[in-house]
Amino acid sequence: MSSLRASALFVGAMLLQWFWNTHLSYWGAAPQFLLAATVLIAARRGPVAAMLVGYVWGLYSDVLRADLFGADALLYALVGYAAGLVRRQIDLQTTAPLAVVVLLLSWLYFVLRGLLGLVFVKSFYWAGWIPVLATPPMNAVAAMIADLMWENRRMPR
Amino acid sequence: MQRESRIAHYVVGVLTALSLVLLSLPLSSYVRALKACAGYVLDPLSYEGERGYQRLAQAPERVREMLSAQIENGHLKEELRATAWLKTTVESLAIENDRLRRALGFKTPAPRHPVWAHVMERDPLHWYSSVSIDAGEDRGVSLNDAVLGRVADAVVAVGRVVDVSPHAATVLLLTDERSAVAAYLSSGTLEGLVQGQQSSERLLMNYINPEARIAAGDSVYTSPTSVTFPPDVLIGRVAEINQRDPFLAFQSVQIAPALEAASLQEVLILRAHPSVAETAVPPAAPRAAAFEPPAVSSATVAAILAKRRRRATPGPVPAPPPAAVSASSGTAASAPFVRASTAAAPSPTEARR
Repeated sequence: MSSLRASALFVGAMLLQWFWNTHLSYWGAAPQFLLAATVLIAARRGPVAAMLVGYVWGLYSDVLRADLFGADALLYALVGYAAGLVRRQIDLQTTAPLAVVVLLLSWLYFVLRGLLGLVFVKSFYWAGWIPVLATPPMNAVAAMIADLMWENRRMPR
Repeated sequence: MQRESRIAHYVVGVLTALSLVLLSLPLSSYVRALKACAGYVLDPLSYEGERGYQRLAQAPERVREMLSAQIENGHLKEELRATAWLKTTVESLAIENDRLRRALGFKTPAPRHPVWAHVMERDPLHWYSSVSIDAGEDRGVSLNDAVLGRVADAVVAVGRVVDVSPHAATVLLLTDERSAVAAYLSSGTLEGLVQGQQSSERLLMNYINPEARIAAGDSVYTSPTSVTFPPDVLIGRVAEINQRDPFLAFQSVQIAPALEAASLQEVLILRAHPSVAETAVPPAAPRAAAFEPPAVSSATVAAILAKRRRRATPGPVPAPPPAAVSASSGTAASAPFVRASTAAAPSPTEARR
């Protein structure tokens, strides 16, 4: 993938996330494209690239929020790292396992985010039932679609 | 693979440590500076994205507006064509009216030449007294010209010109205590004299018949006996009926002007003479002369009128403006100022009668 295309995807993912959050989310439920893309990059390009990209995307999410600056950056980096570990055991270049991993990591994201809130602002950060229940499946669907659109499928590990 | 794994361990360690610092010291200057930098770099994405989205979202609305503007443009052009026809009709009726008046021996009122002007200056200390307008001798304004204002679609009396300079003029408002205009009430065509009051936005109408029954809200119009104003121009409405003074042989009412001095921005001046520049262009005068009939007797005129009435009954002749057929309303220049009740013309035949 050329650097130009990578840059376009990098910015495009942020724009897509911002647009969906701003104009298409209902009751706080919106797919986390950035998280799904982080897992996808980890599956395709390895954990290092996923962690670095995920960290910047996380900072972008944190900048738009008033509290817990650095939380999303940490969590996206950890998600990339975890996906990089998992891909040694599971073939994440297949759509179904990728969707399952994204689903699980999304729930893990909510739990860890709540715990970070408990540690740093003394209250468990609870996003609400609708986002917690609806967002992970949406992330999984988003990851499946992105996986289908990925150009260089079946990259050698 | 081992190398990538080792790098991944280092990277995750560094990023985790950095994140924990950010989370632990949210108020420290370094963290705030980093947040500001991140915001500076990443915020334009959202900002420009929103602007782009707004532009795209407004595109259908703009297209719709353009289409509606085009449709409206077509309608306005149609109206303009109709107005041109109406103007021609009014002009010919005015000529006819003038001719018939002369034939009947009535004195024809002098024609007026309207011109619009802007209110140029208003003295706060004389708010209800006078205003300056940006039309003077250069535009043919002369002393005692009637000055009218505009409220919605109606034209209302405002005052008269009391001072003229080369490029400006001073208008004495009706609300000034020195102003007076002959007027009548719509309820019973009772005549009276409308005068201004000192430092008041209301007008006072005096010399009304003591036996008259006046209701609040009655409209007050300029009288045909007014020298300055054309007849049937709205002045205001009766706001309050004053207590009857037993020592006076008349009653009086308070009038709320139709147009407040504070909202006066443009005025219509009815000039006695057009400006020099306007007279240089040949107007419809030669045409009027062409229509000039020979002197005829009243009986002949009555016969002609009766003949026209019979001819006009079945035909689809457009309704003429009532001002042109009203004996008291004067020339065509006063046609737009006639009140609505007078202006209602049910059919061409009735209008001609």
